[in-house]
Amino acid sequence: MTINIKKIYLLTPLLLGMGACSKFLDINVTPNNPTAITPNVSLPAVEAAAAFANANELNRFASVVVQHLYGAGGGPAATDIYVTTGEDLNNQWQGELYNGVLIDAQKMIELGDANNGNAKAYSGIGKILKAYGFAVATDCWGDVPYSQALKGEANTQPGIDKQEDIYKGNQAQNIQSLFDLVREGLADLDAPSPVKPGTDDIIYGGDLNKWKLAGNSMLLKFANTISRKEPELARTVINEVLTRNVYIKSNADDMNFRFGTAINSQDPRYTYTILSLFRDDLAMSSRFQGVMQGLSDPRLPVFFTRPGGNFLGFDNGLRATLPSSTTWSRYNAYVIGAGGEGPVRMLTNFQRAFILAESALILGTPGVPQTLYAEGIRASMTLAGIPVAQIDAYVTANALTGTTQERLAQIMTQKYIAFVGNGLEVWNDVRRTNLPRLQLSQNAAGIDGTPQVRLQYTATERTRNPKFPNPGPQTNARVWWDID
Amino acid sequence: MRKIFFGSWLLSLLFCLPVLAQDVSISGRVTSSDDGSGLPGVNIQVTGTTKGTTTDVDGRYRLSVPANSRLAFSFIGFGTKEVSVNNQSTVNVVLTAGSQSLDEIVVTAQGIERDKRSLGYSTQEIDGSQLSQRSEPNLLNALQGKTAGVNITGASGAPGASTNINIRGITSFNGSNQPLIIVDGIIFNNDVNNTQNTLFGSQPSNRLADVNPENIESLNILKGPAAAVLYGSRASAGAIIITTKSGRNNNNKTEVTVTSSYNVQDVYGIPKFQNDFGQGSQNLFVNNSTNSWGPGFVGGPTSVTNIQGQVRPYQAYPNNVRDFYRQGSILQNTVNLAGGDVNRNFALSVGNTTQQGVSPNTKFVRTNVQVGGETRLNNGIKISGTVSYVQSVQDGVVGGNGGSAFGQLTRIPRSYDLTGEPFVDANLRSVYFNPTIINPYWSVNYTRQKGQVDRVFGNFIVSKDIKPWLNVLYRVTGDTYTDRRKFTEAIGSGRTPLGAITQDNYFTNELNGDLIITAKTNKLFLEGLTGNLILGNNINQRKFQNQTVVGASLNIPGYENVNNGTVFTNSGESSTLRRLVGYYAQASLGYNNYLFLELSGRADQSSTLPQNNNTYFYPSAAVSFVPTDAFKLDSKILSYLKVRGSVARVGRDADPYLLNSVYTQSSFGNNVASIQFPLALAAGNIPGFGISGRIGSQNLKPEFVTSAEVGLNVGLFDNRIGLDMAYFDTRSTQQIFDVAVAPTSGFDNRTTNVGELRNRGIEFTLTGTPIRVNGFKWDVALNFTRIRNNVVSIIEGVEQSTIVGGSFIGISPSIFVGQPYGVIVGGANPRVQSTDANGANYDPTGQFAGQYVINPITGGFAPTLAGKVLSNLQQNYTAGLSNTFSYKGLALTILADVRQGGQIFSFGGADVRSNGSLFVTGIDRDQPRILPGVIPVTNADGTRGYRPNNIQLSAQSYWGGLGGLGSEGAVFDATVYRLREVALNYSLPKTLLGKTPFGNISVGVSGRNLLFYAPGFIADPEVNTQGAGNIQGLDLNGQPNTRNIGANIRLTF
Repeated sequence: MTINIKKIYLLTPLLLGMGACSKFLDINVTPNNPTAITPNVSLPAVEAAAAFANANELNRFASVVVQHLYGAGGGPAATDIYVTTGEDLNNQWQGELYNGVLIDAQKMIELGDANNGNAKAYSGIGKILKAYGFAVATDCWGDVPYSQALKGEANTQPGIDKQEDIYKGNQAQNIQSLFDLVREGLADLDAPSPVKPGTDDIIYGGDLNKWKLAGNSMLLKFANTISRKEPELARTVINEVLTRNVYIKSNADDMNFRFGTAINSQDPRYTYTILSLFRDDLAMSSRFQGVMQGLSDPRLPVFFTRPGGNFLGFDNGLRATLPSSTTWSRYNAYVIGAGGEGPVRMLTNFQRAFILAESALILGTPGVPQTLYAEGIRASMTLAGIPVAQIDAYVTANALTGTTQERLAQIMTQKYIAFVGNGLEVWNDVRRTNLPRLQLSQNAAGIDGTPQVRLQYTATERTRNPKFPNPGPQTNARVWWDID
Repeated sequence: MRKIFFGSWLLSLLFCLPVLAQDVSISGRVTSSDDGSGLPGVNIQVTGTTKGTTTDVDGRYRLSVPANSRLAFSFIGFGTKEVSVNNQSTVNVVLTAGSQSLDEIVVTAQGIERDKRSLGYSTQEIDGSQLSQRSEPNLLNALQGKTAGVNITGASGAPGASTNINIRGITSFNGSNQPLIIVDGIIFNNDVNNTQNTLFGSQPSNRLADVNPENIESLNILKGPAAAVLYGSRASAGAIIITTKSGRNNNNKTEVTVTSSYNVQDVYGIPKFQNDFGQGSQNLFVNNSTNSWGPGFVGGPTSVTNIQGQVRPYQAYPNNVRDFYRQGSILQNTVNLAGGDVNRNFALSVGNTTQQGVSPNTKFVRTNVQVGGETRLNNGIKISGTVSYVQSVQDGVVGGNGGSAFGQLTRIPRSYDLTGEPFVDANLRSVYFNPTIINPYWSVNYTRQKGQVDRVFGNFIVSKDIKPWLNVLYRVTGDTYTDRRKFTEAIGSGRTPLGAITQDNYFTNELNGDLIITAKTNKLFLEGLTGNLILGNNINQRKFQNQTVVGASLNIPGYENVNNGTVFTNSGESSTLRRLVGYYAQASLGYNNYLFLELSGRADQSSTLPQNNNTYFYPSAAVSFVPTDAFKLDSKILSYLKVRGSVARVGRDADPYLLNSVYTQSSFGNNVASIQFPLALAAGNIPGFGISGRIGSQNLKPEFVTSAEVGLNVGLFDNRIGLDMAYFDTRSTQQIFDVAVAPTSGFDNRTTNVGELRNRGIEFTLTGTPIRVNGFKWDVALNFTRIRNNVVSIIEGVEQSTIVGGSFIGISPSIFVGQPYGVIVGGANPRVQSTDANGANYDPTGQFAGQYVINPITGGFAPTLAGKVLSNLQQNYTAGLSNTFSYKGLALTILADVRQGGQIFSFGGADVRSNGSLFVTGIDRDQPRILPGVIPVTNADGTRGYRPNNIQLSAQSYWGGLGGLGSEGAVFDATVYRLREVALNYSLPKTLLGKTPFGNISVGVSGRNLLFYAPGFIADPEVNTQGAGNIQGLDLNGQPNTRNIGANIRLTF
């Protein structure tokens, strides 16, 4: 049987293959990606995503709609004549919000709650930023998935919650209000948290007290947003925050995200308007220039550049051969940073002051409207580096006067000016109060020639999620809190 | 351990098989039916054994065989003949030329040589001579139009650009649908490594480009799973078995073959432009406009001022696009040296191909060296091996919408003198009519990708006939390459204004070990029943690594080194390792050479599936029956008839690492503005990670392809007419797929087993020799393919899902229930319908159904509806017709083919139409136009209705209104008729060569892509910017095709 020996020899590879099979084949763990992470690498991504979502295309869109900017070409030019479709802004809906800040915040909350909640501080920050992200989503798109969203495989086609329920909550449907989400976050910040953020907290450097200021200020912002639709609730929330007396009171407390100056780390507003192939799609709006110059506002050269020596903006919707783009006024360093660092101003001291001024005037919450209004102007002008003497003169020259509506218009105009670079907040205010009054763009087109008051659900979501109406509400359909 | 005992048990069964009878000595001569001359090198094999010999230079042979055996005579280009020895001592045989498709020895799965008549499934053989000297350095392109059931589409005419091949349709939602490629038994990697986004990148090669077509002896296509089941999972999309020249059967002579060819290449298929109107909009000159809606050259300004402030004549530059391209060239030289006899042979091959593309700065240079040999030791052990080294160098330039040369060539105003104006300034920045657009010349000079592949592949085979009827073989094969790429985007480039240098290194390696035990008998239990049993084991390992270093934000112009960068955040590494262990068996039975049954099975154990569920088995069965032999039907008319049928199922494993959800380094944004972690901030570099958009699954199962096939082979008039026909029905089930999920779930897709995909098709090859008189011969070969692919289901609640790989400005290559694979989904112009009373745009009268809905204010189309099928690339049919006329040493081959139906989604097409440069846009430009469609109206009684659109638009609004890049307007009919290939060859008569050292001299001229006619498209629709892969039918501003014409010479001595 010599043949059998040979046979066995030839079978050796077979034996090697089989005998060691379990180990031989146990090689399917990816070396390319981690399957678990720690909260300190999650937090920077959540914060950056929130800032990026605010400052990228949503800002380009909103800043053109509110006529801070003029759309000279490409997408912004279409925005400027009110043409926005469901093919637009999916990168924002998906990449920056639901698959960006929202899911990242959700995962960070889960990480913070894991291990007996030994990183509750991260959960707290996560809830505040998650609420911020959902507010952006619902303010732009109206009714959106909220209570059923971010559940991954457990719900691959989340249903839509009403904007009213998102802001106010709905016990029957088990929907937590954005207010309660923030309150829960604030409670987490008060809870013991052996693991705490430090330098990984790009916004506040690990200062949890500042996060508490931000969380409370966010409650003010939400209350302000719904104040015309739900004045009672708004008043209650604002009083709650004022009573607690914990909120942003100084520019140093602003919830700012500061990008870097190297490419791939820069503020998208800088990348888009200075570096990119599409940099000549945007210029300053001459209408904004008019508003500022009408008030002799010293902030204009801080906000926008004068490359040709003079300001050069264009009338919204203008269709003409434009002078060389090297002479256009663009965002200045106040907005985008000298080298692209920004910051993105997500919640600010001036914003808080203007909110309180408005609610003191309209809702009768504590505080003197004129004082709060002046506080807002001073905060903004200080940020812009305006000398104190000039600020004083400006505040004096622009004191609140006239009817309630006239005074409200002054407050909203100052907020409109101060928030250059954060088109989303201005778009919310403009839709909510119709102040300042904006004139229609030239060549207005779109659905019916009126400015966009919401975004259309994106084609991707409508395609993948049968719970969405197709085509769904158009850009001329007001959201719930936008009552007129 | 149980499996080993099972294997041993099978082996011991083999030893019990009956022993063969006594040998007799026979001799004879093999001659050609054409001229009665002796045929040297004819392969003679004792059927059912490995025993055999070849004929000598006069066609004579001598052999000692069992008295009752049958001999199979086979020779490339001639029909195989089987003869029973029946105790004769002389067996003379006449072989018939030109009936090769009917009956011959072919190489099947695992290198098993089989008589074609015994196969119950479809294969198609292509002789090396049909691929050689065809003005085409890419093997797959050289196959175009020559095969039935096979779809081959090149990416473009760019040198080395990849070519997609699918056999019998797409069978996997997500996996590779490219067939398995086997070169000399070596599983040959045919991947495309894409460095860049496929929407934007240059066009890297599929790695089959590393094979030199001049070195191919034969190529066999195993079309269905039944044919390929022994190769396992990876051959579920079919297999292509390539045999290189080995020197086997050279009658102990050494032969040197030198082939050399030179071709010129010209750009072909540029759209026809108008030359009456220049740069601008609304009939006004605008100096930075990409449109040609400006004033007419007649009646317009005579000169204009450009953006640089210079005065230029206002005139047409009719060739401003065409002249961008240069004449390319292909120089190919190959030397083959081969020799040997039936026991020993060797082959050396050295080849070089140097191609200069039509786009500036593109080239492809391939150098092949191959050494191989085979010997039979005195103890009966046969050893063979080959080693090949290939170096392929590819220089490419990027394509795609926006910041590429080809993305801008479709946007050049007719009045811009592209070749005459400077393209670069003193600071090495682009100069153009619009400062925010990059000059195409600048792009091809300053955004370039260079790559070099160094590849080694080889095999080592040891085998021994342990008994006359029992052979044991072990084969080790390896294939490994590095692909080192450098992608340069100079400072000022469109997509990377600050510049970047990307150094990309790929490494792939595949090792296979196969043990194959073969047992044969001529008499299994009863006379006339032959049996053949194969047992095999395969161990496979595949390794892949990629390291990328991106040095971005450059400082020193012209310094093309990663060190010039200051930001490295996009650098990274990725690697995969997968293993598979397979066991396979095949039992073949033949009865009196007219009835055959083959049963095969394979079990695979894969590392990529969940460990508790990683083994899967799949079987196949095939039957073949030859009634003409069984019933002695041999008549003057019907000379041969074979019917065949097979059923097979092949399992396929997953890609590595799909089981877990993972975290990735975070990045946000797109090509317009983006950030990438780690962020470089004032506080330092900060890391950031987030959950990846894909949800993993621990419950993955293998996917399966189940196929049934019936076929027919007919030979008429002494096989002068041959028909090979097949009908197949293939179902792919429990597909491993990344199903798109709603973004609001927090994720983009999840990996799971879903759905069903079905392919049904009919294919045939008809061959014939209509004329054969006085040395003149006319051969015709017609092939025809019609495949119907249908996505039967995806998963509950999901009607459509994006194919992984790319979506762009609102369009997504997708699977869509009820549609063929790969339809392009996007926003469609709404149409009137009369089926759903509650739906939008309902027309109860039905008279307007199907018409576009027009916006009553603008006269344009109403807002689009998302998620609609825009473009369907599935062809009605494809066919190729080859005519060969030969007379004495002269042969003329003309190959024409047609692709009927299907659509292409073309950015370029939408571009040149909407920007007013296409020829039709210049016709009657001053006339108003009306878009097709109807306007919704409210009738007097309050009901809603429609009236025909009567809103007049300017030519600019009309042509623009038809739609731009991401719209339905970018869809065109892709039907194309083509004169694919013409080759004229002349072999010098032997009488002339008598005293020279040459055995053979042939010279020829050939041309490729000489003419095409595409009635529905503005250019050549046979392009695909995504290259080889699952996304097809897209023309996103890629490079055009070329027409090649050249001359060649072949010498043997």
